[in-house]
Amino acid sequence: MRRFAIGLSRSAADGDDLCQATIERALVNRGKWQEGTRLDSWMYTMMRNIWIDEQRARNRRGQTFVAEEGGLSVGAEGAQESAVELGNVGRAMARLPDEQREAVLLVMVEGYAYKEAAEIIGCPVGTLNSRLVRGRDALLELLGEAP
Amino acid sequence: MSVTSEELAAYADGELDPARREEVRAQVEADPTLAAQVAAHAALKQKLAAHFAPILEAPVPDRLTELLRTRQPAPVAEFAAAREKRDARRALSSVRWGWVAGPALAASLALAVFLPRGGEVPEGYAGEQLASALEQQLVSAQPAGADTRILLSFRNDDGQFCRAFAGEAQSGIACRDREGWRLHTTGAGASAQQSDYRMAGADAGSILAQAQELAAGPALTAEEEAAAREQGWR
Repeated sequence: MRRFAIGLSRSAADGDDLCQATIERALVNRGKWQEGTRLDSWMYTMMRNIWIDEQRARNRRGQTFVAEEGGLSVGAEGAQESAVELGNVGRAMARLPDEQREAVLLVMVEGYAYKEAAEIIGCPVGTLNSRLVRGRDALLELLGEAP
Repeated sequence: MSVTSEELAAYADGELDPARREEVRAQVEADPTLAAQVAAHAALKQKLAAHFAPILEAPVPDRLTELLRTRQPAPVAEFAAAREKRDARRALSSVRWGWVAGPALAASLALAVFLPRGGEVPEGYAGEQLASALEQQLVSAQPAGADTRILLSFRNDDGQFCRAFAGEAQSGIACRDREGWRLHTTGAGASAQQSDYRMAGADAGSILAQAQELAAGPALTAEEEAAAREQGWR
């Protein structure tokens, strides 16, 4: 949950706030969770909706994302070289449009099947597939690793 | 038929249907450019995994775990409602699982850290260490590293206090009678489930479903539970 939240919001602090809001909403709505469906997918769908609402609210307030420029700082405690490398990945991810970033996160980081990821986002599988490809190509480009 | 980048990504992610997968495989093997793209996809996946891995290894902030721990008494209302409906529910054979989601969430956050432990358990009754946890631990204030977590407390139809618990070695329900904590239902502990994280909490779920069947009323509130402990669970 934290991994998806931090990836989605591009900052550890926002990610944990997002986790908190998601858990609170999940506890309130736990009667709506259907037995036999995946709890994690249900939570991720909720988390995504909360994040979208939060972004709209922030845009209305005219706030900017603190983490947007700096990218993610997770994993920055390793060796110098790998810290730079990890920082690059974070910055590249942060520059993706939201719809591409969430597709990349769900499939390439969280390991969801296309169909499951598309259900969480609420889009057709084909749309998910093309967002994933565009996001992936943009990342490879940003990281200077396009084949 | 040429391969689109969407198809190539789906191929790299193992998402193509078997027939198309073979066709794409043949083309990838014949075309170094395609092969390089597949390799780049896999390399990026690894890079992303490495980037996000520290989040999973980092300790979960207290405010998130607290959220789950302090919400434990919350099932009360639904618990009572579930009790009223349980006959109808049996007929429909559809258990409402929603109220179980709290503990399942806790498990999915890897909140509970149980330590392995052995020990003789007398026939039908909780052993010393389990009994001590059943006597002492309150749902609302449990030590973070407790071997056994109390999931909830309730009274059965005989008016006995019962407690659903989950531990490393054993999970189940125990009810207090004159002899001690009589084990009602027991299942495998958390250690049996570690191989599949998606199973985490599933056992606690079935234990709680059984608690629902045994209970004569709502789960005890934090105050009622503390009072019951004062009275020695009699």
